[in-house]
Amino acid sequence: MIDVRVQSPVFDVGEEQRQLLAGRHDIGAVVTFTGLVRDFNERPDVQALSLEHYPGMTEAALRDIAEQATSRWPLDGIRIVHRVGRLLPSDPIVMVMVASAHRRAAFDACDFLMDYLKTCAPFWKKEHTASGTYWVSVRDSDARDADRWEEA
Amino acid sequence: MSLTHLNARGEAHMVDVGDKAETQREAVASGRIVMRPETLALLAEGGLPKGDVLATARIAGIQAAKRTHELIPLCHALLLSKVSVDFRLDDAASCVHVESRCRLAGRTGVEMEALTAVSVACLTLYDMCKAVDRDMMVEGVRLEHKTGGKSGDWHRASEDESATREAFETPSVEIAAIRVKLLAELRERLDIEEVEVPVASLKRPDVASLKAALEKQDSRFAALSAARILCAVNHAMAHDGTSLADGDEVAFFPPVTGG
Repeated sequence: MIDVRVQSPVFDVGEEQRQLLAGRHDIGAVVTFTGLVRDFNERPDVQALSLEHYPGMTEAALRDIAEQATSRWPLDGIRIVHRVGRLLPSDPIVMVMVASAHRRAAFDACDFLMDYLKTCAPFWKKEHTASGTYWVSVRDSDARDADRWEEA
Repeated sequence: MSLTHLNARGEAHMVDVGDKAETQREAVASGRIVMRPETLALLAEGGLPKGDVLATARIAGIQAAKRTHELIPLCHALLLSKVSVDFRLDDAASCVHVESRCRLAGRTGVEMEALTAVSVACLTLYDMCKAVDRDMMVEGVRLEHKTGGKSGDWHRASEDESATREAFETPSVEIAAIRVKLLAELRERLDIEEVEVPVASLKRPDVASLKAALEKQDSRFAALSAARILCAVNHAMAHDGTSLADGDEVAFFPPVTGG
């Protein structure tokens, strides 16, 4: 039901979806978010990105986030793949795939998962640009996005 | 003369050097990788398929020095103050000479770190060049000199094998301790990757006391008390009041930026 992976090789969204749906006839909706490396961010002309993570904690944190999602929405499957290592502009970095009987739960859970992943999972990005290399700083908007899901 | 890593029953053990004085230690090791002249030429002009070979091998060597204790069973984790790995391309001998210099203030020598850095830098060079040359040979990995410590300074007498027996030196640190890791930007800014702290050395067994003890040991650790720095204990988010025991893994890191 929950499958989380941290890997350096590229992932194949189609293959991930085939595996998620294999043998299932009760799923009515799959929502997938794929995050890509942009060639502009804090500075223009980003040439590459290095992604570091904290092995052991990363997998535990992603699984915890996925479990929170299953407790909030009626879901039939979650797959999260996050890449690490050196990536180039247009490379896919992250995939969050959520399956449910109906689309609303799948859309909302996918949105929630990405917001929590960005604020809770121990990944760090370093950008390599023509004008130098630096660690990416935190965006306040990411914390605000995650706060939207706080239950009153 | 006896081997310090064997006890009275001849069993392997880690040497307790808690009573030894801290001194400035330095070790230099060297080695070489011999290759075909065409391979060396490709390496020099940056024409190898895996990219910047020397830069990659340098980072590999530095990383390896920092992880020596994970590779060599009875070696202690050290807080190295400096690791350098340098290369010299030698057309005449058709090889790359590799030299590593490791330094720390501590109770234990750093020759294993320097030797490991040279070995792994050579292996990385092999890996980066093997697509064009499988005949390469890693040769002559050896300690050149070491300074500091009870056994004093040692320099390789020119090709004198007997001198190497003097080179044995004993490492430090308790096995049962809190393992402290620094990650990402924090690790690079402080230039510290990992240290071990016995829980018995803390005023109270909690994260706040760990930070205080680290800061007392090295002022760079003052950065851990910044509000933005996060802490995890055994892979779960933690705070100043989280309690600690020997064997725990504590990580400090900046706010996360994945996704």
